[in-house]
Amino acid sequence: MDIYREEILDHARHPLNQGKVARPTFEFHAANPVCGDTMDLQIRMAGKPARVAEVAFRSDACTVSVAAASMLTEKIKGMTAAELAKVSEKDVISWFGGSLTTSRTECALLPLKALREALGG
Amino acid sequence: MSKSNRLDPEKLRSDFPILHRKVHGKPLVYFDNAATTQKPSQVIQAISTYYETSNANVHRGIHLLAEEATAAYEGSRGKLAKFIGAANPAEIIFTRGTTEAINLVAYSWGGEFLKEGDTILLTLMEHHSNLVPWQFLARRKKLNLEFIPVTDAGYLEDPEGAIRRLRPKLVSFGHVSNVLGTVNPVEKLTRVAHEVGATVLVDGAQAVAHLPVNVAKLGCDLYAFSSHKMMGPTGTGVLWGRAEILERMPPFLGGGEMIKEVSLRESSFKDAPYKFEAGTPSIAPVIGLGAAVDYLSSVGMENIRHYEEELLDYAFKKLAAVPGLTIYGPQNSADRGGVLAFNVAGIHPHDLATVLDQEGVAVRSGNHCAMPLHTHLKINASARASFAFYNTKEEIGVLIEGIERAKKILKI
Repeated sequence: MDIYREEILDHARHPLNQGKVARPTFEFHAANPVCGDTMDLQIRMAGKPARVAEVAFRSDACTVSVAAASMLTEKIKGMTAAELAKVSEKDVISWFGGSLTTSRTECALLPLKALREALGG
Repeated sequence: MSKSNRLDPEKLRSDFPILHRKVHGKPLVYFDNAATTQKPSQVIQAISTYYETSNANVHRGIHLLAEEATAAYEGSRGKLAKFIGAANPAEIIFTRGTTEAINLVAYSWGGEFLKEGDTILLTLMEHHSNLVPWQFLARRKKLNLEFIPVTDAGYLEDPEGAIRRLRPKLVSFGHVSNVLGTVNPVEKLTRVAHEVGATVLVDGAQAVAHLPVNVAKLGCDLYAFSSHKMMGPTGTGVLWGRAEILERMPPFLGGGEMIKEVSLRESSFKDAPYKFEAGTPSIAPVIGLGAAVDYLSSVGMENIRHYEEELLDYAFKKLAAVPGLTIYGPQNSADRGGVLAFNVAGIHPHDLATVLDQEGVAVRSGNHCAMPLHTHLKINASARASFAFYNTKEEIGVLIEGIERAKKILKI
């Protein structure tokens, strides 16, 4: 099954950037009301212009959410706030190679939801 | 000879056109009956026949179509009354479903008879539909909400003690839990509740299509259920209430259909059930629900219960043999309806549901509109297989194979 291809499973089983950031610039907690899954995202910005210096997430979530968080956090390292704002739903969905159904798309977008809320808040 | 030989699932399956479709190239195995059941041709046909031959508004016209539509609509009311053992068809109120029925009771009965400081007693295993309306009312009227706890084995913990101690004005609980499957002892709880003067509302959404339900025998005061979980269409459901209670309850929504006389400043209202049915009702769904009741009656509720119990026994045995699988709720089928919520260690229920879907197996995953219960169970979510009389042991075999496949794909 495409949704569970090796690369996705690898991210889910051994996620990158799992943990905490000591002094985060942004942080946010997101939840998927359908399943009660949760995602906490923390980002520390540094430098001029400020870029993502450190990013980490903690989650209690399904394979798709965790894999998405692992890939998203990896992707956004070094981005400015303006670049972060440009990461789109389409980008995230594309990492799953068009294999997501509508309901599972919600799972994949949970980390992005956390990122957007963090930036907005 | 087993009791369920009186029910032939293969024959009944032929009444359900959707059971013959394929999902991802595999035969559909529909195990999401607690969310909504499938509909037999008899129900689908009743709805088309109404639209093709008798479509008109009810209770208003003098013309023949209006007469026919009204007769069919009111005919359903009579069928429903008989089906649940109500004393009188006027005790059957058609609502949009269980949720609206409970909201109706909260707004009308609760609004009229509860006052600041009164207690409403619910349980920890309620569906959100039997929780949130009471939260609204409690905030509005400064009421206490109390909850009967649930034991680790999935039963209500000393419900009689809670009723006697808390002396609630209303006790409201599910007949069958939509997660744990627990069949709650309605008769016993109602007796104790009546001793302390409480009114009893039962959420029968997960019971009516699976057990024989007789409100006179249960003794409760109000009973709510949905059409679409009992082989009928979406868009309607029932609130049954004892005549003397309905009589004292003020109307719910205001509008046409529910009034006697209207002037610019005030109106007088019809008697129950009409004072609770403002606006044009869901005529076609109600007629479809009548056909569903005919269907269930022809199969026989006792037969359905026996068959589903046997199916549940089989599912228990098979699922229990799967390493790492936990079934929530009572561990014997006699104490539960056909709902099996479970988790497989290391597999998120959404992932399990996705793999099963690829195998044609439809199960629910999530918190099943029972977040507080999942918090109590210390899990975010669970997978849920829920059965109907058209399910078979072979299909349970497909579910087990699907779970094994999920383990392989997800490398558990």
